[in-house]
Amino acid sequence: MRAPVLALTLFAGAACAADVVVIQNGTVHTVTKGTFRGSIVIRDGKIADVGEKVLTPPGARVVDATGKHIIPGIIDAHTHIALDSINESSVSVSSMVNVAEMLNPESVSIYRAMAGGVTVCNSMHGSANSIGGQNVVFKLRWGADARGLIFDRAKPSLKMALGENPKRQGSPQGLQIPGLQSPQNLRYPGTRMGVEDVIRDAFTRARAYQREWKDYEARRARGEKALPPRRDLELEPLVEVLEGKRLVHAHCYRADEILMLLRVFDDFNIRGVTLQHALEAYKVAREIAERGHAVSTFSDWWSYKVEAYDAIPYNAAILHRKGVLVSLNSDDAGGAELMRRLNAEAAKVMKYGGLSEDEALAMITINPAKQLQIDPWVGSIEPGKDADLVIYDRHPLSVYAKVEKVFIDGRQYFDRDEDMSRRPKIEAEKEGLRRKLQEQQKQAMPQNRRPS
Amino acid sequence: MRKNFLAAITAALAAVLLAWLPAPAETVSWTAIRGARIVPVNGPVIEKGTVLIRNGVIAAVGSQVDVPASAWIVDGNGLTVYPGLIDALSTWGLPQAAQAPAQTAGRGAQQLPQLPQQQQPQQPQAQQPQARSRGPQDRPGTFTWVKAADQVQSSDSRLASARNAGFTTAVTFPRQGIVAGHGAIINLGGKTAGEMVVLPEAGLYLALRPSGYTGFPSTPMGIMAYFRQLWLDADHYRQALALYAADPVNIPRPAYDRALEGLMGVKRVLLPAPDPIQMERMVKLAADLKTPAVLYGVVRGYEMAERLKATGTPVILNVRWPAREPGADPEQEESYRELRIRDLAPTSPAALSAAGVKWAVSSDGLETPRAVLRALKQSIDRGLRREDALRALTLSAAEIYGVADRLGSIEPGKAANLVVATGDLFDDSTRVRMVFIDGVRYLPEPELPQPPAGAPGRGPSSEKGEEQ
Amino acid sequence: MRAIHRILPVMLAAAAWGGENDSFLLRNATVHPVSGPAIQNASVRVIDGRIAEVGPKVAPRGRIRMIDARGLHVYPGLIDSGSPVGLAEIASVRETVDTGEIGDFNPQLRALIAVNPSSEHIPVVRANGITTVLATPGTTGGTRGAATSAGLIAGQASLMHLDGWTWEEMEIRRSAAMQMTWPVIQTGRGGPPDLESLLPGLAARRVTFAEARRNQQLQVQKIQDFFDAARRYQKAKAAGEAIAPDLRYEAMIPVLEGKLPLMIMAAREREIREALDFAAREQVKIVLAGVRRPGKTIDDIAKRNIPVVLGTPFVTPLEEDDPYDEPFTLAAQLHKAGVKFCFASFNVQFARNLPYEAAQAAAFGLPYDEALKSVTLNAAEIWGVAGDYGSIDKGKYADLIVTDGDPLEIRTQVKMMFIKGVPVDLESRHTRLYKRYMARP
Repeated sequence: MRAPVLALTLFAGAACAADVVVIQNGTVHTVTKGTFRGSIVIRDGKIADVGEKVLTPPGARVVDATGKHIIPGIIDAHTHIALDSINESSVSVSSMVNVAEMLNPESVSIYRAMAGGVTVCNSMHGSANSIGGQNVVFKLRWGADARGLIFDRAKPSLKMALGENPKRQGSPQGLQIPGLQSPQNLRYPGTRMGVEDVIRDAFTRARAYQREWKDYEARRARGEKALPPRRDLELEPLVEVLEGKRLVHAHCYRADEILMLLRVFDDFNIRGVTLQHALEAYKVAREIAERGHAVSTFSDWWSYKVEAYDAIPYNAAILHRKGVLVSLNSDDAGGAELMRRLNAEAAKVMKYGGLSEDEALAMITINPAKQLQIDPWVGSIEPGKDADLVIYDRHPLSVYAKVEKVFIDGRQYFDRDEDMSRRPKIEAEKEGLRRKLQEQQKQAMPQNRRPS
Repeated sequence: MRKNFLAAITAALAAVLLAWLPAPAETVSWTAIRGARIVPVNGPVIEKGTVLIRNGVIAAVGSQVDVPASAWIVDGNGLTVYPGLIDALSTWGLPQAAQAPAQTAGRGAQQLPQLPQQQQPQQPQAQQPQARSRGPQDRPGTFTWVKAADQVQSSDSRLASARNAGFTTAVTFPRQGIVAGHGAIINLGGKTAGEMVVLPEAGLYLALRPSGYTGFPSTPMGIMAYFRQLWLDADHYRQALALYAADPVNIPRPAYDRALEGLMGVKRVLLPAPDPIQMERMVKLAADLKTPAVLYGVVRGYEMAERLKATGTPVILNVRWPAREPGADPEQEESYRELRIRDLAPTSPAALSAAGVKWAVSSDGLETPRAVLRALKQSIDRGLRREDALRALTLSAAEIYGVADRLGSIEPGKAANLVVATGDLFDDSTRVRMVFIDGVRYLPEPELPQPPAGAPGRGPSSEKGEEQ
Repeated sequence: MRAIHRILPVMLAAAAWGGENDSFLLRNATVHPVSGPAIQNASVRVIDGRIAEVGPKVAPRGRIRMIDARGLHVYPGLIDSGSPVGLAEIASVRETVDTGEIGDFNPQLRALIAVNPSSEHIPVVRANGITTVLATPGTTGGTRGAATSAGLIAGQASLMHLDGWTWEEMEIRRSAAMQMTWPVIQTGRGGPPDLESLLPGLAARRVTFAEARRNQQLQVQKIQDFFDAARRYQKAKAAGEAIAPDLRYEAMIPVLEGKLPLMIMAAREREIREALDFAAREQVKIVLAGVRRPGKTIDDIAKRNIPVVLGTPFVTPLEEDDPYDEPFTLAAQLHKAGVKFCFASFNVQFARNLPYEAAQAAAFGLPYDEALKSVTLNAAEIWGVAGDYGSIDKGKYADLIVTDGDPLEIRTQVKMMFIKGVPVDLESRHTRLYKRYMARP
C-alpha cells in the first residue's frame, strides 16, 4: 500500500511479523472447543497449536497474555463500511453492480473496526432494491490494497431486500425530495406485494436466460451456426444463485414477508440463505429452522421504523433455541461504530434470553463464519485455521472490555499501546507538513501578482 | 479548316490541363526562423540554428541549414523555439463543453447540465427531455455518435489565450454524459473548423459521475456495470451483423443501434483515476472492455508510478495541485492524508518520469492556459527535469494519441507547430513572441476576460487581459 | 424472565397489605448509596415512599413488608438527562413524533404534557434500571442518538418518573430546564455520495464557508434580539406597566432571573465558546449539552462551574485523524478538568442503554464511581432535585433498583424497581412478545 497510510499504521518490529508467534498464558476462548487458560502457537499465518500446554518453538516471538482473554477474530456479517458507493438505488433489480469494485482500502473505518476486534466483514450493497448488488467479504488487513483485503476463499453473494426500504421509492411520500415525486419517477414496487413480484419475476427471467444458453449450447454442439443470446449482466448473478454458486443475504423485517421469501426460495430451490436483520424472525423461527436458513440480526434495535416495532432483544435467543443459526451484526455504514463493540453486543444475548458465554461468542465468530461459508478457515481457535485473534484486557463479554491486540493471518495489525504512543508523533508530523505547505505556497506565488 | 479547329481545341485543352496541373515551384512558401535556440525535444538542444518550414511542414532543422532565397525570414536572435505545446485533455474549441462539469479530481459541486438537442432515448418512448433511465437499455448519458470534430468552433475565445501561452494543439473532448463522445486532435488555429482538425478520432471519453440523465446508473459501480454491458452489447451487435451478412435469408436482420455503431472501432477510452485505488478499478475495467485506456485526472501520480509502468498505462496528469480552499473554515483542520497529498502531488511528474511512465498534461480545472506552465514550474522546483516537463507537453502527448509522426517535436516531416519565446518556457519572466500552426504565424492577442471553467475558488494567479 | 419470579411475591405481598404500598424493608443486600461507599449486608427501610434508614443493621419497627434481597445489590434509580421518551414512538413516522415544534423560539412549550404515559418505550426503558428521564423537546428520537433539534429554543424540558397513570403522576418537575440549540455553521457538505448523485439538488445546496458563517451569525443575532425583547417585557411587567401578556416572554422570565437553567446544545469548540460568551453577557445560568469537542473551552467550563450533559459515546470520532477512542475518553477528560457532568441518551430507541454509556466512559479512564454518579447523583444535582433523588440517603425518595450485579454492566439483570417506594412492573412489550413466541408450537 502507500506511504501515507503506512506511515500512520505500520510500526517497526512487530509489523514485520516473525514467522512464529506464541500468545502465552491467557484465557483462550476457542468457541468450539471450550475455554481454558493456555497458549496459542501461530506459524505462517495459521494457528499451529492451541492448548493448556504448548511447545514454544525457539525463535518465536512471545506475547504475554497473562490475565488477558483471547477470542477468534470477530466476523461482522452485515456492514457497509469501506465502500465508496453503497446503493445503486435507481432500479429495483441492481444485481449487475458489485460493491467489491467500490472497496476503499484507505477508509479509516477499516482501522477502527479492526481496533474493535473485527477481522472479517461482509460489506454489502444497500437495501433500497428488492434485488440489490453483489457483496464483498474482506479481512481488515489495514494497509493492504483493495485486492489484498478481499477474502478470496469466500463464496460470492447477492443482496436482497424486503419491506419498507425497497418500496420507498414506489410512493410519492416516499423520499419526500422534490423532483422525485412525479409519477414518471416512481419506481415499482410500492407495496410488499410488488416486492415479491419483482423477486419472482427476476428469478423467472434468470431461469429463462439459463434455458436460452442451454439451447444455444445444444445447437452449437449440433454444429449449427447460431447467434448466442445477448449476455445480460443483470441476470447472470441470479443464475449463479439458482445454481448454488452465489449466496443470498436478504434484508427483511416482518414475519409475513420472511415467510413469503422462504416460499419463493422453496420454489426456486435456493438454499443456505442468511436473513438479514429479520427482526420478526422469532415469530417464524420454526419455518426458518426447517429450511436450514440462517439469521443475522441486531442485538437490541427497535422502533425506528414501523416494521421494527415488534422487534425484541430476545430475537437471537429465541431463534437460537429453536434451531436457527444466528449471528449478530452492526449494519455500520459511514463509520465503524457498533461493529467495534460487537463483543459487548454479544453479551446482550446473555442478558436477553439467558444464553451461555460460548453461545454468545459464537454469534460473532463461528456462526457468521458458517453463514458466509468461511468457517473452514476462520471463526474459532483451532489448529489449521487462520490466525485471526483478538486479545482483550478482560472477559470480552463485558462493556468494559478493551481490545489490546489484533492479529490477522498471524500478523499483528493493532496494538493499543502503540496506537496511543503514535498519536503525538502524528500531530508533530502534521504540524511540520502544515508549515512546509505554507512555505511552498508563498514561493509559488508569481512575482507580478496583483490583488484580484 | 479542320487542322485549325483541332489546333484550337488542343490549345484550349492544353490550357485547361495546364491550369489543373500543380502550380510550378514558385508558389511553394518557405519560412525560416534563423539564429534561434532550438529545443527539438526528440534530440539535443541546438544553441543557434534554423528551422525551415515548407508549406506548413518542417523541412529542415539544424545549425547549418540552406535557406531558399524566397523564404520569409523570422529573426530568431535571443529567442528559443519549442514544439507547440499540446493540451492532452481539453475543451478548447468546444465552447459548449466548457459548461459541462469538468471531471477534475472530485472537486466542486456536481450539477446536471441541460441535455444537448441530439440526445434521445433509444427506446421508443415519449420524447421527454428528462425521461428517467430505467436500465442499460435506455443508454443513459451515452453519446457515442457525438464527435468533437463535428463540433469544433474556430471562434472559441479561449483559443487566443491558449496560443498566447504557447499551445498550438489540443486533444479536445465532449464532456456531457458518461460516454461523452469522441475526442479530436485539433490545432488551435485555422481559417475554418475543418482546417483545425488534425485527427477526428482520438478516443472515447468516459466519466464515472452521472450527468446528462436521471435514473440508472446513479453510482460509479452502476456506471462501471453499465459500461461492461454496453461493450457486451456492442460485441453481440457485431456478431449479429456478421451473421446476418453471411446469411441474410435465415438470420433476422439486427435492428440499427446508433449507440452501438458509435462504439465500433474505438481506439482507446479515457477513464478517470485520481488515486491508486481508482487506478486499479480502471485498469481492471479497461481489461474487461478489451480496450486500451488512458487514465485522466491523475493526482496521486507519485504513488501510482510503479503500477502504471507495470500495466503500460499512459496518464494525463491533473496539474491543478490540490490546495487549501481560500474560503475554507479556519477552524477546520485538514487531515494528515490531505496534507500529504498536497505536499506530494507536485512531485508526481518527476515520479512518473523516473518510472518511465508516459504522461501528458491537461488544462482541465485550471483558469488559464498559462497556469499549466506555472504548475509544472512548481514541479520543476521540486526536482522535475525541464526536458521531462517539456516532453510531456509535446512528444508524450502526441505518442499517447498515436500522432507522433506528425506532432510533438521539431523534426523534418512534422507539422510546423512551434512556439517562439524569449527564454525558457517555464520561467515566469518569459514571454511568448509568436506561435506557428501549420506554418502560419500567430502573434499574441489581447485576451477577453473568461469565466473560469468549472473550478470553484480562485488561486493566486492573475488573469483578465494581462500580458501573460 | 426471572424478574417476574422476584417481583410477583413482592406485589402479592403488597397487595396483601393493602394500603401501604410504598413502605417496606429491603434486607440482606449490598447497598450502593452513591453518595458514599457500598455497604455490605445492609438494609433499606422505606416509609411512605421515602428512605427512612439505610445501614447494616436495620431492625424492623412494627409491621412492615419485608423484601429479601439476599445476594443482590441496591442502587439508586438511574437518571437519563435528556431523552424524548414518551414524546416519540416510531422515529420514521411523523405522526408519532412530538419533539420539535415549528418556529425558532418556543420557550412556552412544556414537554411533559405531550408525553404519552402509554408509550411502549416507557416500560422498555425502565426495565433496564432507569427510573427518571428528562423529557427534552427538540431532540429527535433518531436511530443513532444524534442530538439534533428543531428551532433555536424548543421548549421546557421536564423531569419525570417512568411510571404513572398520567403525566401528572409521572411529573417530578414540570420545568427543569429551557432547551436551546446554539446555531451551527452548516456548509451542507459531507453527505453520502450515493444520495448526491440521485438528488442533484443536494449538491446545489452547498454553500461557502463565508456564507454559512454569515447565516450562523444571523441566527445568533436572532437569539440576542429575542433575549433583549424578553428582558424588555420582564422590565415592563416588573414596573407594572400595562402590557399585553405574551406566553413566550413569560416563559423566559425564570431563565432571565437565573432560576431556570438554559440547556444549550453545543457540540464543538466554536459553538461552546460562543455559548459561554453569551451566557456571561446575559448572566443566565446554563448547562451545556451534547458536548463533543470542547477543545480549549474545557478550562473555562470548569472554572465557571458549568455542568455538562454528555450524549452517547457510541459514535464515530469526528475527524479522520482522531484517535479511535476519542468519543470514549471525553468523559474522563472532563472529569480530569474538574467539570461536573451527567449522561443522556438523547434517543428513544437506545434509551435503555444509558448505563452502558457511563460504563464505556469508565472503560476508558473515568473512575467507576464517577461513572455511576453521572447517571445518578450528578444528574439529580444538575437538575436541582438532589434533595429528593439521586442517592440512597435518608430523607430522599425511594427511587431504587435491585440488581444481580453492576447496573452499568450489560449482563446484569434488574430484578426489582421502586419509584417513590412503589414497586414497578418490569414487564414490557418485549418480555410479553418473548414469552408468547417462545411458546409457539
